[in-house]
Amino acid sequence: MARFLIRRLLWLIPVMFVVAIITFVLMHMAPGGPFDKDPSQRQVDAVTQKALNAQFGLDKEEWLDFGALSKGDIVGFFDTQFFTYMIGGTVKGQWRCGFICGNLGLSFRQRGLTVQDIVLKPPEGKAPWDSKAGYSLRLGLLALFFAMLIGVPLGVVSALRQNTPVDYASLFIATSGVTVPNFVFGIFLIIIFAVFLHAVPVVPTSWDSPLVWILPTIVLGFGLLAQTARLTRASMLEVMRQDYIRTARAKGLGERVVVWRHMLKNALIPVVTIMGPALAGLITGSFIIETMFAFPGWGRQFVTAIQQRDYSMILATTLIFALLIQIANMTVDLIYTFLDPRIKVN
Amino acid sequence: MASAAVAGGRSVNQAITKPPQSLWVDAWHRLSRNKAAMFGLALILLFFFLAIFGPMLAPHDPLKINSGKGFLPPAWMPAAWVSTNNVGDPQFFLGTDSIGRDVFSRLIYGARVSMVVAIIPTIFITFFGILIGIVAGFFGGTADNLLMRFTDIVYSFPDILFFVVVMFALRDTPIGDWGNGLILLFGALALVNWVGVARVVRGSTLSIKEKEFVEAARSIGTSDRNIMQKHILPNILSPIIIITAFAVPRLIIAEAVLGYLGLGLRPGTSSKEFFVTSWGSMLLEGQTAINAQPWMLLAPAIAVALVVMGFTFFGDGLRDALDPRMRGAG
Amino acid sequence: MKKSALFAIIAVFVALVVVACGAPAAPPAVVQTSAPVIQTQIVEKVQTGAPVVQTQVVEKVQTVVVEATAAPAAKEKVLRINLGSYPDIVDPQKSSFVNEIAHLNLIYEGLTKFNEKLETVPGAAESWKYNDKATELTFQLRPGLKYSDGSLLNAARYKYSLMRNIDPHTAGEYAAITDEIAGAPEWRGADLSTISDEDLAKLQATVSESVAALDASGQPCKEGADGYAQEDCLTLKLTLSRPAPYFHTIMGIWVSYPAKQENIEAGGDIWWTSPKYQIGNGPFILKNMEPFVRARFEPNANYWGDKAKVPIEYAYITDSAVAFQAYKNNEFDIIGLAAEDLETVKADATLSKEANIYPGSCTFAVMFHQKKEPFTDQKVREAFAMALDRDGWVKDVLRGLGAPTLTWIPPGYPGYKTSDSWGFDPDAAKKAIADSTYGSVDKLPEITDTFSDTPRNRTRNEWLVSKWKEVLGVDVKLNPVESTTYTALTKDQATAPQMFILGWCADYPDQQNWLSVYWKTGGFGERIAYSNPDFDKLVDEADQTVDPAKRADLYEQAQDLLIKGAPVAFMWNNVNSYLVKPWVTGLQLTPQDAGWAGAQVPTSIDIDASKMPSQ
Repeated sequence: MARFLIRRLLWLIPVMFVVAIITFVLMHMAPGGPFDKDPSQRQVDAVTQKALNAQFGLDKEEWLDFGALSKGDIVGFFDTQFFTYMIGGTVKGQWRCGFICGNLGLSFRQRGLTVQDIVLKPPEGKAPWDSKAGYSLRLGLLALFFAMLIGVPLGVVSALRQNTPVDYASLFIATSGVTVPNFVFGIFLIIIFAVFLHAVPVVPTSWDSPLVWILPTIVLGFGLLAQTARLTRASMLEVMRQDYIRTARAKGLGERVVVWRHMLKNALIPVVTIMGPALAGLITGSFIIETMFAFPGWGRQFVTAIQQRDYSMILATTLIFALLIQIANMTVDLIYTFLDPRIKVN
Repeated sequence: MASAAVAGGRSVNQAITKPPQSLWVDAWHRLSRNKAAMFGLALILLFFFLAIFGPMLAPHDPLKINSGKGFLPPAWMPAAWVSTNNVGDPQFFLGTDSIGRDVFSRLIYGARVSMVVAIIPTIFITFFGILIGIVAGFFGGTADNLLMRFTDIVYSFPDILFFVVVMFALRDTPIGDWGNGLILLFGALALVNWVGVARVVRGSTLSIKEKEFVEAARSIGTSDRNIMQKHILPNILSPIIIITAFAVPRLIIAEAVLGYLGLGLRPGTSSKEFFVTSWGSMLLEGQTAINAQPWMLLAPAIAVALVVMGFTFFGDGLRDALDPRMRGAG
Repeated sequence: MKKSALFAIIAVFVALVVVACGAPAAPPAVVQTSAPVIQTQIVEKVQTGAPVVQTQVVEKVQTVVVEATAAPAAKEKVLRINLGSYPDIVDPQKSSFVNEIAHLNLIYEGLTKFNEKLETVPGAAESWKYNDKATELTFQLRPGLKYSDGSLLNAARYKYSLMRNIDPHTAGEYAAITDEIAGAPEWRGADLSTISDEDLAKLQATVSESVAALDASGQPCKEGADGYAQEDCLTLKLTLSRPAPYFHTIMGIWVSYPAKQENIEAGGDIWWTSPKYQIGNGPFILKNMEPFVRARFEPNANYWGDKAKVPIEYAYITDSAVAFQAYKNNEFDIIGLAAEDLETVKADATLSKEANIYPGSCTFAVMFHQKKEPFTDQKVREAFAMALDRDGWVKDVLRGLGAPTLTWIPPGYPGYKTSDSWGFDPDAAKKAIADSTYGSVDKLPEITDTFSDTPRNRTRNEWLVSKWKEVLGVDVKLNPVESTTYTALTKDQATAPQMFILGWCADYPDQQNWLSVYWKTGGFGERIAYSNPDFDKLVDEADQTVDPAKRADLYEQAQDLLIKGAPVAFMWNNVNSYLVKPWVTGLQLTPQDAGWAGAQVPTSIDIDASKMPSQ
């Protein structure tokens, strides 16, 4: 187990590097730059553009500076955009450690702010979990619990009562969960709960009240709930027909034990598999939830960074996501061994 | 619960008493008796029919702009439900969009793109997902490790950025131009969506390969390929079918979202072109007009739901029909 | 609003309890009760509910109770506005976007400002005068001006702001707007990586002389902190590198807003995120700014002019459908009205009275690349322009939220003059094609219409293409591209597409901003290769003419010349469209309104509590 963990943690490094390289290549190939904004407004003029490039280190070589090398400047050889971001380099004339020290770089758009200021720093006088990342993390976990707590039992029940009204009702929920886009579902819930029932305000003025978290949680978790319910049902049906279930029943085990201990445990493998990456997706937030509910999460950054060509934000969000995905998948692999002891992690 | 146990038991009995049939004939036999599956198949066929013969069925030219007739509600909607002052026109069954184009005709034309976009990449992602997942899960060790790290990379891959670059580079080449950019779109959608299938297949394979019957097959010297094909694959079909059926709406919406990011299909300027509109673009257009003409949103949403329902019912039925333990049952 | 939420919550709990107990529905009277009753409701809930739910429920209700008791008995008067997107940066010398300016306008004030008629009127400066050649501009500040924290505001503060705007270390996106100041382009353009410290200091010194803060005796004010405390430092003399009789108008925009040097230095790069450092001289004080949730502004008692009457609260909902619902639910007082919702609003007796639709600050046109075939031929450009029915466009595509135009400067701005050139005329359009060097449509090369891909732009461009096909019989291909790709493509002459829709929005109300800045050779119009020496001569002369009447006449000639050449097909002016609750009074609407109705003159707004709903 310890060996497995260490090995997987070491694997993080090359994977992150490959992701960084790919992202770096792509973002510099994409047309336009961070200072290209709405074309019907005044554009940044050439002089300012040059000053900005210098300020943000865009005047450096992208990968390796052979010009500096020819002058015998080894440090300068590596003082390039990529290495400055990932490992360290000169920023505004001073050496500064990069991504490996947890510096996510200066945002190109939200000027003056570093990426960690934007995503990790809570507003003045608030607790750390009130940072944007903290908000998204909390909402993502809530949505996951919501999807699990309703999705799994729904799947189990509809498998046990296959082709009954319960099963069809669950199919209906699942189908609507994946086909109704969440912007539609969101506005629908807002109209019902905020406009007609006045249970919550349409636009929450404060996220300190637990009540206002309910709608975003439902909207965010609904798609996963649908998938969970269907996958659980399908695997349950699969497992129900296995010999060992009949054996378990024949042994005279109680129905509850058979269902929960024997069936569900084996049926959960596909569910857990999608759960890992889904959790990574949920806690990196949702652009739509944030624009609909004025939710102060970091999901917006993941989407707008690319359109805004905010280079350091693109790299930071991609790498954070890569890290989360790998940790999630690592956890999933560990859970496999718990669900089915015959699976060996190595 | 109890009924399921009984069904299992009966299948064994009948398998013994009935004369042996070929797997496929038997499967079809069972499938055709499954009402839900047949309903699903009918739905799928209906939409394929629409996709192929749409131009003959649509009452109007989907690109015809009817000046001054924007946001007309369907004529059959009670006036109390209409939030605008517009009065419906019976010739537009589902009303009109913002510039007075017939929503019903656009829905029919949209079937073509959305069905193609849903099916072709799905075939790709299922194939590659299964291949990579099963190989990784079955062989384990280094192969598993490398393949799964590769999927991790693809998972975290900045796909939108990739599309921006590819679309920009290839838009004006013949590849980018063909079918209003359909090939690029297929590639883009297939490229990043197989990873989910691969992970699920691998997870299930890990569990199945430790089962007794795989041990047994191995001990009598069955080749790896045969074990994967004949013993593992049939036992992991359920999650694959679910994931595949759910990929359909995701792809339909992804097509539209890519369009929203400026990476979608090039809109056609004549109704003879392949791509006139898609359900995905209709959904996005409808979102903004949710108050003025809800059918711009409801019509494509219902269409997508029906397709998914079709695939789900049919997929479930197919899985049951192919289940070796259900042979002869039905 | 809080109260209604509280009642609603109670109602939901009542409903829950009723469902759980199977008891008959409680009479509505229960809803009227206050805190203690909630407790009993909870007790009931606790008795019937699952253990996990208990604590949650109790917690929720307690929070709500606290809020409810903390709320003042009288309704709080506050103007709640949905601004849309959250600003990237709120720094006078670095901001450039409408939503950013909407914050700065409340906190700060420039030397001049614009009134409801978009005339340039005194702001912090009580008067200004040019020398005869308009190469020197002298502002006289009001005596005794104060920042919101009570500290002195004098000419030295404005000098710092202007210097900071030009400073190459700032690299502000609007830095180029003050390039008329002598020495500014040189200092701004200095290459910081190669220039020596002495040379840089020399460049800075030149600009420092051009931006002179003077005391009562005409001597330069003291340097640094002493200067900021000098009460008679009330004159700001700008030396311009060329005659620029419009420059006082530029001093009304945000680049001269006097943020405090000590705050900027103390707060570092992120000074602007903290209300502590955002100390300004405008009609409002920034109280708090919670990213992406809201910002609150209180009236500034130290403001020299009319004091603001009500606090303002900004929210940042970008989904217009949600904002619309919130508005109907009385959660906002002012929101933007989207074209798609206009018909719903019109059909509603209440909402239709609350809609404010008035001219905006932008002109949009179909741009033709003057160096890419077939638009090298003026006849072809004319034909494409005349094939477009602007009234139909406004009615069908913009759903009435826009005004057709055939000219460049929009109504409400100095220099506006109607035109009837190249209006909708199908026959003339066909004839123009026949008269062109191509002779007929089938000899035209392939034409592609490029646009930034959004659902809305798709519909718009599909309309355009279908009209060209209908009137001229031309098949124009559509080419949707991603939005930043679009910006990148269209900003450069070499990559700019054959044709695309683009607009220009006013920075400040003056013809110079429309004609010289955009269409002069080397201006923003260079992207479509527009270059007309006669036009350049006219605007150059106008830019330097001091006499207002003569100046206006020269600009008018220039605009006529621009229109005559049909470089683009002028299409429409945007409109500002907002929903405003009936209890918001004293709105003064201008085309230049940044982000919300009445933003240009926020001090005149009040709230009539008697008209507010009693719930």
